Amino acid sequence: MEYSIKVVNAVAGIFLAIFSGGVYADTVAANVVLPPAGGFYTNNAQFLGSGRLNSSSYLLAANDGNAAQSRADGTPEAPPVKFEPPLMSERKLHQYLGLGTVLFAGLTMLAAPGEACENNCPPASQLPPRETSGTTHTRLARTTAALAAATVITGLLFHWDDFHLDDGFSDPDNQHVMLAGTGAMLMLYAVNKSAKSSVPTSHAGIAELGAALMLVGIKLTW
Amino acid sequence: MMHRKWKISALLALVLVMGCAGAGAAESSLSDNFLLWLFDFQRTNGVKPVTDKHYQEECGACHFAYQPGLLPAKSWEALLTDQALRDHFGVNAQLDDETLKDIRDYAISNSAEKSWYKRSRKIAAATEHGPTPLRITGLRYIVRTHHDIPEKMITGNKDVKSLSFCDKCHTQAAKGIYDADTVNIPHYPNWDGWFNKP
Repeated sequence: MEYSIKVVNAVAGIFLAIFSGGVYADTVAANVVLPPAGGFYTNNAQFLGSGRLNSSSYLLAANDGNAAQSRADGTPEAPPVKFEPPLMSERKLHQYLGLGTVLFAGLTMLAAPGEACENNCPPASQLPPRETSGTTHTRLARTTAALAAATVITGLLFHWDDFHLDDGFSDPDNQHVMLAGTGAMLMLYAVNKSAKSSVPTSHAGIAELGAALMLVGIKLTW
Repeated sequence: MMHRKWKISALLALVLVMGCAGAGAAESSLSDNFLLWLFDFQRTNGVKPVTDKHYQEECGACHFAYQPGLLPAKSWEALLTDQALRDHFGVNAQLDDETLKDIRDYAISNSAEKSWYKRSRKIAAATEHGPTPLRITGLRYIVRTHHDIPEKMITGNKDVKSLSFCDKCHTQAAKGIYDADTVNIPHYPNWDGWFNKP
């Protein structure tokens, strides 16, 4: 039983890695031939210290049409298509995984077996062996851990550009990374700690703290 | 016993996080809105949409009515004066005193640092120190988020022309939504993304 769970976990991990890697590689491949153009049309970026605070061809208001018109020759002619936001995207995948993690963490908490006894408990040697797999609680916990790991992986892959340490802790994306990332690690630690223990072990608080941190992290960028 | 101890710790940590956020809100005179934001489940990851009719009409008459949350108050204070509007990026955009006051008050009271919307908070954090930004497109955050868009899709695109025409590509810009998922660059429907590809 233990062996089959490990195999299932390994297969799930490999699938997620391939899936995430495939998406990432595809995105990178799509952009690899594209020139970094930001600097050309944002030459008034004051933080660069270029000293060019105003650009004749780059204006805030809709008054630089002539300047841009001459450069519009290369636009491919394609009939306008009615745009519908995609139901699924890299960013939405991360979003759904994060929400799923919190949902499954809540279900795991609800499915917890609770304290076996509180008073006049028999010695540990007389207690039935502790179930570390096969129960609803353990299955939900493992699913939560897998979702948490997948959320972190997709976040790192698809939102890497949103994370800038030099913006400091007041930046909401940085707060999101730190809180939700820590939350995911705590949940993984709690599941691992409980799965490896043959005697009752305290792990619920760590997992609940992890879920709470992830929830706060989500709210900060919701 | 240990179990309960951890639960109490978790609860205290949550209270601490909320408390820190609340303290931050109080410090920046946002306490009125903090609780509303905290328990508001609508998405606020963009900027607050324009709600003032004067602002929408006067600014929107010439260009996209940029949401006040896209710049800090110090920028609006510099931009929305009678003197500054005489040469508003090369155009005379003077307004009568009453209209100017209305628009200026609205912009300042809804500026980036006074908003709980995510992108406004990012802009506020990034512009807290340093020179007063006068152009939204010159903000470090905006430059960063557009740095990998090829020039041919913006300045070389006859239906976009410049980064300053937000609503040409951000299909829900008027609602304050600037998600990458709502971007549709004219003539480049598959500009980004794995799931969007045919």
